[in-house]
Amino acid sequence: MSDFGLYLHIPFCLKKCPYCSFYSLEGRMDLVERYVQAINTQLRFCAEAYRNHLRPMTSIFFGGGTPTLLPAAALSRLLSKCLERFSCADEAEISIEVNPATVDRSDLAVLRQAGFNRLSIGVQSLQDAELRQLGRPHTVADAVDTVRWARTAGFENINLDLMYGLSGQGIQTWKTTLEHALELQPTHLSIYELTIEAGTPFARMEEQGTLFLPDEDTVLLMLEETQQLLMQAGLQRYEISNYAQPGYQCRHNINYWQNGEYLGLGAGAVAFFNKTRFTAIANAEQFCARLEKGQEVWMEKEKLDREAAFRETVIMGLRMTAGVSLAALTDHFDLNAESYYSDTLHRLIRQGMVRIVQGRLQLTAQGFLLANTVMAELV
Amino acid sequence: MKNIRNFSVIAHIDHGKSTLSDRMIQLCGGVTDREFKDQLLDNMDIERERGITIKSQTICLPFTAADGQEYALNLVDTPGHVDFSYEVSRALAACEGALLLIDAAQGVEAQTLANLYLAMENDLEIIPVINKIDLPAAEPDKVAEEIEEDLGLDGEVIRKCSAKTGVGVQEILETIVTHLPPPEGDPDKPLEALIFDASYDPYRGTVISVRIINGTLKPGEQILFMHNKTEYRVEEVGQFYLTRTPQKSLSAGQVGYIIAGVKNVADTKPGDTITHKDAPCPAPLPGFQEVQQVVFSSIYPISTDEYEDLATALEKLKLNDAALTFQKDTSAALGFGFRCGFLGLLHLEVVQERLEREFDIPLILTVPSVRYQITLQDDTELTVENPSHFPDPGAIARIEEPFIKATILIPERYMGVVMTLCMERRGENTNYHYPMPGRIEFTCELPLAEVIYDFYDKLKSVTQGYGSFDYELIDYRPSDLVKLDILVNSEKVDALSQLTHRDRSRERGLKACESLKEEIPRQMFKIAIQAAIGGNIVARTNVAALRKDVTAKCYGGDISRKRKLLEKQKAGKKRMKTVGNVEIPQSAFLSVLKSEQ
Ligand SMILES: Nc1nc2c(ncn2[C@@H]2O[C@H](COP(=O)(O)OP(=O)(O)O)[C@@H](O)[C@H]2O)c(=O)[nH]1
Ligand code: SF4
Ligand SMILES: [Mg+2]
Repeated sequence: MSDFGLYLHIPFCLKKCPYCSFYSLEGRMDLVERYVQAINTQLRFCAEAYRNHLRPMTSIFFGGGTPTLLPAAALSRLLSKCLERFSCADEAEISIEVNPATVDRSDLAVLRQAGFNRLSIGVQSLQDAELRQLGRPHTVADAVDTVRWARTAGFENINLDLMYGLSGQGIQTWKTTLEHALELQPTHLSIYELTIEAGTPFARMEEQGTLFLPDEDTVLLMLEETQQLLMQAGLQRYEISNYAQPGYQCRHNINYWQNGEYLGLGAGAVAFFNKTRFTAIANAEQFCARLEKGQEVWMEKEKLDREAAFRETVIMGLRMTAGVSLAALTDHFDLNAESYYSDTLHRLIRQGMVRIVQGRLQLTAQGFLLANTVMAELV
Repeated sequence: MKNIRNFSVIAHIDHGKSTLSDRMIQLCGGVTDREFKDQLLDNMDIERERGITIKSQTICLPFTAADGQEYALNLVDTPGHVDFSYEVSRALAACEGALLLIDAAQGVEAQTLANLYLAMENDLEIIPVINKIDLPAAEPDKVAEEIEEDLGLDGEVIRKCSAKTGVGVQEILETIVTHLPPPEGDPDKPLEALIFDASYDPYRGTVISVRIINGTLKPGEQILFMHNKTEYRVEEVGQFYLTRTPQKSLSAGQVGYIIAGVKNVADTKPGDTITHKDAPCPAPLPGFQEVQQVVFSSIYPISTDEYEDLATALEKLKLNDAALTFQKDTSAALGFGFRCGFLGLLHLEVVQERLEREFDIPLILTVPSVRYQITLQDDTELTVENPSHFPDPGAIARIEEPFIKATILIPERYMGVVMTLCMERRGENTNYHYPMPGRIEFTCELPLAEVIYDFYDKLKSVTQGYGSFDYELIDYRPSDLVKLDILVNSEKVDALSQLTHRDRSRERGLKACESLKEEIPRQMFKIAIQAAIGGNIVARTNVAALRKDVTAKCYGGDISRKRKLLEKQKAGKKRMKTVGNVEIPQSAFLSVLKSEQ
């Protein structure tokens, strides 16, 4: 039986970061109690209504926003509510995102105790100047403490989020950051190139010409350095932005890239099962109000036709270095990718963008750099 | 007749012509507030957006003057661009007077003068109007001085107003009554009606705008179009109020419309004279010219399955735009399309925009060309306005190209730059004189091909907007013409070929390469762009390969959005033309036509 994930969204943040376009709320801690209540209602409702579509959870992920703005005890209660309502596979991966300076030693112990077995820490940078530039309300020391405390609390599987391509960042500073990160011995690294999202303060700065991002050559070099350094450290790239020690790939996220099924709880969260993608209203207040009134929270339900779902599965799968299994595609959609894409696929192969290795369609190294261009041909 | 005034409003762009017209219409009670839509007279979307009037529009304003009498004030709005200067002159010929509108903050500008000249050629009485006196920067007294001193107009007649607030507009209407002469003419003489415009009504066919010079016209009468030599029976005559209002007759001095079962607008010619079939006037009215297409370009639908739609759309446009011509054309790169003839570049742009906007057909246009006369070695003669019909250079004995006489009006200080511009464009026989202190009227004979390209834009830019320009075709002269081809990754893109003078070919080639480089998005591989004459590469450049195009984050909540973005990217690709393996966007084709600004 394939995987089934559970995502729980906590949309609160201390302070909105100037590059972030996620749905999150700054300084609305007054809403927290009501929101937790609403999630409990939603849990109950989903467990009941979707009984026939759910399977034992193979992964659970508490993400945000900043989940750790909720007291550790509250998060623990939420998790135990989830575990009560839904059955859980043995050795399920249970992750939570934490931001440095929002948790202390004892909070982490409480979380571990509650059953979380994977931490994803929003480190972003290991240079204080960069953290300030990114508007992050924590320091390098905070991040390092968080990792240390996590270990003592019994977390073995730890991911760090890092960003490159930052304003004023050179190859050397980036390397220093990476080396420092490796010294912390994470099992997993998520390494994102800074992307300027429309509507964010960074987008406005870019427009006004006050954001000085490194040029394309530098960014490409940073990526190359990253892959090399991490490879030497035993962390393999397994997705465009994700690296892990063997056996520590994030099961929850892999399920997304395989276009697997999952339930999403909370404002703005997305669920996907029974061939349908559900999107919850991205407004915490209305989310609560609807649940209080016993109304649906799904604002959008999307059901793709077979071919569109097939193409979506292909492009999502290509994000991973392993690519997509052609046999699995045929099994699932009764479509043969090679004949379906025929000329386009052959041209992409000729152009050195994709390849078929042992029955799997994969991006080449070149294809990874131009993933969007390739996917726009296959979508 | 003594209670009729026919007039036009002429102005430099943005000095407030449309606003003033609207205000006058409102004051005369021509419109209820509900109907009032800003800038009533410019009723095509494009006109409103660009602030250019493309087709003439007429409206009759009933006005009770201070003398207690009822007047009919016929406002004839005119197109405002040199492509349409013949149409403007016909519209002005329908009037006795004009309001010369000048912005109180800007003062006299190029088009003020050009328009004033046109009005004077038509013997119009002028009322100078200083507009926008509500502006803080308004200097009405200084502008009044310019009007008296530089334009030599009567200071007594000057009126000041704010079209925006309405101040002074009533007084302008009074002045139209007191200062402009009523039309002359004899309702009992043989009919002489001047056609100055025509528009298409899906139910009634062509609605012809006319000024009756002499005689009287009634429904049921047989009429003759003197130049076209066609006859029709009049179904309806009337005047333009807010809507067409039928009348029992139209007679000398009046401006109105005729409906006479004329199927196509193209069957009427602006400037033609309408008379009675049985009692014709002795001769047509002076000033008639055949409309001439001087710019030719091929239009292709981006998506080849929209060819039929394009054909239908062109037919429809033609109904209302007699000056547009078209016939089938094909291109190896672009498939089936139409070779179209236009009055000028603006006309071309207007047609293109209307096709895209009103008919929703994304298009590609080829580089505009003029019409060349070619004599082959064996003495056969042919005309060529399409690069793909250009004969083998070895077989050509002689090529001639159309020349124009350009008349350019500029403040004295721009003489040097304008002279340089004309010389760069292969100008000959330059001449100048001073029509008024500080102003130069500069004339020059130029190849039309050099003018349609981007001359007007260039002129405006080197004269900071103060240069006005008008032209007439004069003759054909020998030319050393070559065909310039564009190659993208070594494949010739026939739709980008152009005919150009040998001396200008390298520059054109360079410019085309540069424009394409700007517009063709980076792709997976390097793209070579070359310009060639025969086998000879005259310019080249490259579009570097795309090196990075990847979305860093994509988790469960992003999948849908991400997929839609990619689908959009894919749809965008569909809107591009694939030549060889290179995707060329529509904008790239257009960029080759545009001047560098
Ligand atoms: N302040 C002020 N603005 C005006 C006046 N008349 C016109 N405008 C503005 O000037 C601009 C150009 O006016 P428009 O009537 O379109 O000019 P046209 O190009 O001559 O038709 C518009 O933004 C008008 O609102 C006026 O009397 N006062
Ligand atoms: S903490 Fe995370 S979710 Fe919140 S604003 Fe910053 S980047 Fe966005
Ligand atoms: Mg206007």
